[in-house]
Amino acid sequence: MTNTTHPHTRATVLPRGSRTTFDPFPRQASKNLVVRAIVKHALLVCLLLVMIYPLIWMVAASFRPSNEAFNGIGLLGSRFTFENYVSGWSEGQINFSRYFLNSLVITVLSIIGNLIAASLAAYAFARLEFPFRRVLFALMLGTMLLPMHVTLVPQYMLFNSFGWVNTILPLVVPKWLATDAFFIFLMVQFIRGVPRELDESARIDGCGHFRIFGRIIMPLALPAIGTTALFTFIWTWNDFLGPLLYLNKDSMKTVPLGLNAFLDATGASSYGPLFAMATLSLAPIVGFFIVSQRLLIEGIATTGLK
Amino acid sequence: MIIKRGIGAAVAVGATTLLLSGCVTGGGGAESPSDAVDGTGEISGEIGISWWGGDPRHQKTNAVIDMFEAQNPGVTSDRQGSDWGSYWDKLNVQASSDSLPCAIQLQGRQLNDYTKYDLLLPLDPMIESGAIDVENIPEVALDAARGTDGKLYFLPYGVAYDAVGVNETLAEEAGVGVPEPGYTWDDYFDWASEAADALPDRARAISAGGGKQNYFIGWALANGIPVFGEDGKLGFTEDTLRDWWQKWEDLRAAGVTETAERSAEEPAAGDQGYFATGAVLSDTVPGNALTPMSITMKGIGNDTLTTVAYPSGSVGAGNALYPSGFAIPRSCDNVATAAAFIDFFTNDVDAGIEFAGDNGAPTNTKVLDALLADDTMPDTKKHELELYQEILENDPPTIVFPPGYQATFEASFVRAYEDIIFGRASIDDAVATFFAEANGSLGE
Repeated sequence: MTNTTHPHTRATVLPRGSRTTFDPFPRQASKNLVVRAIVKHALLVCLLLVMIYPLIWMVAASFRPSNEAFNGIGLLGSRFTFENYVSGWSEGQINFSRYFLNSLVITVLSIIGNLIAASLAAYAFARLEFPFRRVLFALMLGTMLLPMHVTLVPQYMLFNSFGWVNTILPLVVPKWLATDAFFIFLMVQFIRGVPRELDESARIDGCGHFRIFGRIIMPLALPAIGTTALFTFIWTWNDFLGPLLYLNKDSMKTVPLGLNAFLDATGASSYGPLFAMATLSLAPIVGFFIVSQRLLIEGIATTGLK
Repeated sequence: MIIKRGIGAAVAVGATTLLLSGCVTGGGGAESPSDAVDGTGEISGEIGISWWGGDPRHQKTNAVIDMFEAQNPGVTSDRQGSDWGSYWDKLNVQASSDSLPCAIQLQGRQLNDYTKYDLLLPLDPMIESGAIDVENIPEVALDAARGTDGKLYFLPYGVAYDAVGVNETLAEEAGVGVPEPGYTWDDYFDWASEAADALPDRARAISAGGGKQNYFIGWALANGIPVFGEDGKLGFTEDTLRDWWQKWEDLRAAGVTETAERSAEEPAAGDQGYFATGAVLSDTVPGNALTPMSITMKGIGNDTLTTVAYPSGSVGAGNALYPSGFAIPRSCDNVATAAAFIDFFTNDVDAGIEFAGDNGAPTNTKVLDALLADDTMPDTKKHELELYQEILENDPPTIVFPPGYQATFEASFVRAYEDIIFGRASIDDAVATFFAEANGSLGE
């Protein structure tokens, strides 16, 4: 038994108030952590501002008088005014309360239709056995490869012969008939991830296909449903060509068509009201995105098996 | 959001070849029993009417259609107004599916894309039968509405023309003044060079105009050079184009024109361009842009803007007329009402006053006189109409655009010119490229 203290041992003795475990961030250097976090966040905020600046500029331009809209990339004009919002909402032929209502109706019907039809089709492809299943699945995926312009004219001729031009039917009915292959595919992949044991145990308990679909699969597929709803909303709300072709009457126009009426490449455009109404038309999309984002996260968090 | 007229139209009409090719066999005489439809008959029933424009244009057009319906009880209308770019998308889809509305608005630039596929009714029989009256419409405006076969295909109601915009305030500061009527292209270039030295820093003398097709067409017509040949291909030689671009390159090297970088950045919308914001002394502007540009200028500074006619050349004036008007497609099932509507829109004086020359100066001389006598018209609008009268008196040339013009000419022209000013290609190469591209898609 020796009482000598080895010099190296002394050097490794930890300072007062220390723990016996190894600490990579000793306390007096903890300021470093805060500084690093501040720098990281500052950089991210700068990057965010740069990316979102065009949007901020548009909102600022909507509060400037119309003929100063393009006075530069600054945010301020000669005065702050609400006149763009007032005149843009209902000036002349334009009537945005009508346009927002139309957009809302078409979008809500499209979302419901897409959800119901795509989920039913996806369940069939993922869970049911029927002849030509693979061929039909491949065919469905094949429809995603067709560019829009190829089907544009035949569709127009078809709907024209039905007499559906000037109604919202050409825009809404295809959604109820599961024509969006993208969402069917999304849901098929999702349903394939749900283990078949759940189906079998439900069948043992006496469920038929519809109950399995409604009680087992759909609650678990909440993220896919949220994604479908979100994208359908954004694409239908922003859809310009469809309403342009099929909605002639001014009282049936949707928001993008309404915004288009502010522009006139051959005369005088009203940029101030355009920016004002564009800002307003973004609000539902942003709101919907925020709401369905929560849904997506909740959906993922509550799936027991994953 | 700012739809560049050329590109938007190019994309739209680029899809036309895809869409209309399905129409070649089916669109022609499958249904119409007689070739000469003379537009007489009962005026009732429904007609579809489509036009382009922004909201002010929609308001005025709707007001005129209301007047027509009031005068002719029993007539209803399916009104389809859209912005310029989306107008052609929609029209082409309707054309391909044989469901064009009975009165469609067209200009000379796109007319022959539709006559190529025999989609329109010639209006000459209707003039002979009296359904349409052209007594008060100048012959030169009618000539600009003829197809490649010489028949009249749309009834022009409003004439647009190109003008040279001049910033009067800057012109006085530079000590050069506004060009005198009857000035030539050489005078114009000399005037710009003189002004370039004396202008304040915030402005250049002229835009990099070598790539502006309107300037080129104006210069070619003024010097008697045909722009398009009989077969619809380019009618001028490579040397002509080379001289034109060489002239502008010399000016650009001397600092008289805008720089290449600034030119490429210029906003596509005319009323936000450099001329309207006071960054350039003079540029080519559409005749009816004076009013919107003046409004923009009011929000920025105190300059006064004005327009003068295009310079003349060795043969005479260089201002071609570009009328817009309504045409009647072959697939229309209510030709009598459509003809009556077209006639009313163009010739009725009260309708003309209601429309207030929104789409260019009225072709009907009685309507034009009525508008000029109207005191409530803003000064810039009056100036636009008076300049039109001046151009009309100077015997303007006519130009017939071949099919394929709208989709390719402007885009190729601008692209070739930008290759030159950015130093990506020599003038010879750019000319060769342009000729290859344009001749590949123009004509039959």
